[in-house]
Amino acid sequence: MEFEWSAEEATYRNEVREFLKAELPSDWGSKRQRPDSDEQMSRCKDFCGKLAARGWLTPHWPREYGGHDAPAWQLMVLGEELWSIGEPRGPQYMNVNWIGPSIMSAGTEEQKEYHLGRIAKGDVIWCQGFSEPDAGSDLASLRTRAERDGDDYVVNGQKIWTSYASAAEFCYLLARTNLDAPKHKGISIFLVPTDTPGLEILEISAVIGEHAFHELVMTDMRVPASTRLGPENEGWGILRTGLANERVGVPRYGRAMFQLDLIAQWAKEQGTFDDPEVAATLASAQAACEAARALVYKVVDERAKKQPPTPNASVARAAMVEAEWAVGEAGMVVMGALGLELDTVADDQFRSGMTAGVAAGAYEVQLNLIASMALDLPRS
Amino acid sequence: MDYELDPDQEQLHDAVNTLLSRRAGPARARSVAAASGIDQELASALASGGFLDLFADDEAGPLEAELVVEWVAAAAGALPIGARCLVAPAVIGGDLPTTVTVMEEHSSSPVRFGATSEAILVIGDSEARLVTPAPGATEPVPSLYGYPLARVSLAGATVLGTGDPDVARRWWQVALAAEIAGTIGAAFALTLQYHKDRKQFDRPIGSFQALQHRMSQLYVRQQASAWLAREAAFHRAPAEAAAASAAYAAQAAARACVELHQMTGAIGFTREYDLHIWSLRLQALRLEMGGVRRHSLALAGARWA
Repeated sequence: MEFEWSAEEATYRNEVREFLKAELPSDWGSKRQRPDSDEQMSRCKDFCGKLAARGWLTPHWPREYGGHDAPAWQLMVLGEELWSIGEPRGPQYMNVNWIGPSIMSAGTEEQKEYHLGRIAKGDVIWCQGFSEPDAGSDLASLRTRAERDGDDYVVNGQKIWTSYASAAEFCYLLARTNLDAPKHKGISIFLVPTDTPGLEILEISAVIGEHAFHELVMTDMRVPASTRLGPENEGWGILRTGLANERVGVPRYGRAMFQLDLIAQWAKEQGTFDDPEVAATLASAQAACEAARALVYKVVDERAKKQPPTPNASVARAAMVEAEWAVGEAGMVVMGALGLELDTVADDQFRSGMTAGVAAGAYEVQLNLIASMALDLPRS
Repeated sequence: MDYELDPDQEQLHDAVNTLLSRRAGPARARSVAAASGIDQELASALASGGFLDLFADDEAGPLEAELVVEWVAAAAGALPIGARCLVAPAVIGGDLPTTVTVMEEHSSSPVRFGATSEAILVIGDSEARLVTPAPGATEPVPSLYGYPLARVSLAGATVLGTGDPDVARRWWQVALAAEIAGTIGAAFALTLQYHKDRKQFDRPIGSFQALQHRMSQLYVRQQASAWLAREAAFHRAPAEAAAASAAYAAQAAARACVELHQMTGAIGFTREYDLHIWSLRLQALRLEMGGVRRHSLALAGARWA
């Protein structure tokens, strides 16, 4: 047990910081705007192109897919630096963290050829067609139906709460291909272009979160069987492996600490930092962020040693949600009613914190997983 | 980075825990509490194994010392383990008495092991002093919270050595976090087993989601408390990391004490059942040094002032 960054890791962090200073606009991070706006998407593609050119968009990918097998700790350094300045990759972090790897593990040669190259160049946006009106935390009960018809599948159903759908070129879509099998065993994955006829994307007006939600309505949408990822009815296993990467691939505590620093700065400018209640609230949130960081590091250590996934990923995720909530609360306590104004740091963090506990596997689902897998408590 | 014990640390773990399994544990804690309140025999056994002096050991260091503090706390060892293994060596160094506790000069709070330790590290404004109080200068304070407490008068105390008070405060924070992590860990393990054994409504109470979620939340807090204490010790108690470890652990301790009792029910209130051996100590640990409020102010000052 030891907690020192290696010389290579420390050097790498400095290089990333220098790169970000040089390549990002100086007002980046302080400028709050909708992350899925056209302007933001074009900034994000531009930035990802530069990252790709530097070899840092997909450094952890195997060499045969254009990566350089970067170690898990190096990827964590990169993620921390990017998230702590507001994640300029935008939704492309999903592409590189798990959509790409899931195509590598289950895709055909044609799919790999077509998709991995584009993801690695940084000029493509994906969205996730997961949740449905009746399938949220219980995702495997999804009902969107894909029926085989010759060389095609005909898809009917509805997806909801999909972020970035209006900006996305492709959707990583889950659909049921066998109605008779147990619910986990009848699901397949499709890599669907979002301009496919029969796919309608509707924006849902929302009061929370960093970006808008969408509803995807599929009416007799016809997709070639060649868009199916992996064998028919085996999508759930492919997805689970992918989501294990999703759960800690995102060092959200970095973003939360960045926001907390802004809140503390605001308190100092307003002369309220010396109020013990203000300082204590800020510190308590900072401690929660540090706790999340330490628990994420534990998981990265397991990854670096190529150990099989453990419930520590859920432990880390739960701690990250608690940290986001604590920073959201700190913003409101520190700014008071001034935090109600649109796009203040308190407003931004409070709404982001609310979504953190719901998106990518609800907080309560993580607690369930800890109870059953880490604590070995009997099923309820 | 390596979040697992290396072979030397494994060996240390086995050696210390073999010793603790023979000489510590809840039964021993009860008998010591009924007598002097401090386990001088355990302290001597740990000292003769070299386990109290790992901080400055060439083959070990502050992280190994921190691990020993966690393990002794988990075994309910009745001695000021954190002050002796982490605070005093960082501030005074050299040969130390077998039992050393720590207190603030300008505080009226009762001192853990204040009447029974061989020496006390007194943290003042401009220096920290290792002292032996004058005869009759300590007065026991009646309390049920797991440790012998005392008021200490410093008049006539003999000074054995001096050191930096800021260093002392930072290591005291790490020591508290380490003791809390070990103490919650043991109380949690007992309660987890209870959740599997105790049946109500024809099923183990641990199958109720209302309890599962609370156990999962405590597990997150215990794990994070331990990692933050270990990291802070490894990095030699930098101001921010030390304060963060104590602030987080003190909040975890407050919650664990109340929650573990609530989930255990009435049996947890009896002297016969072991939970109180650890749970009540958590109150003393989380309030020491001014508690979460003081740790938080220290953290805010270190990061943003």
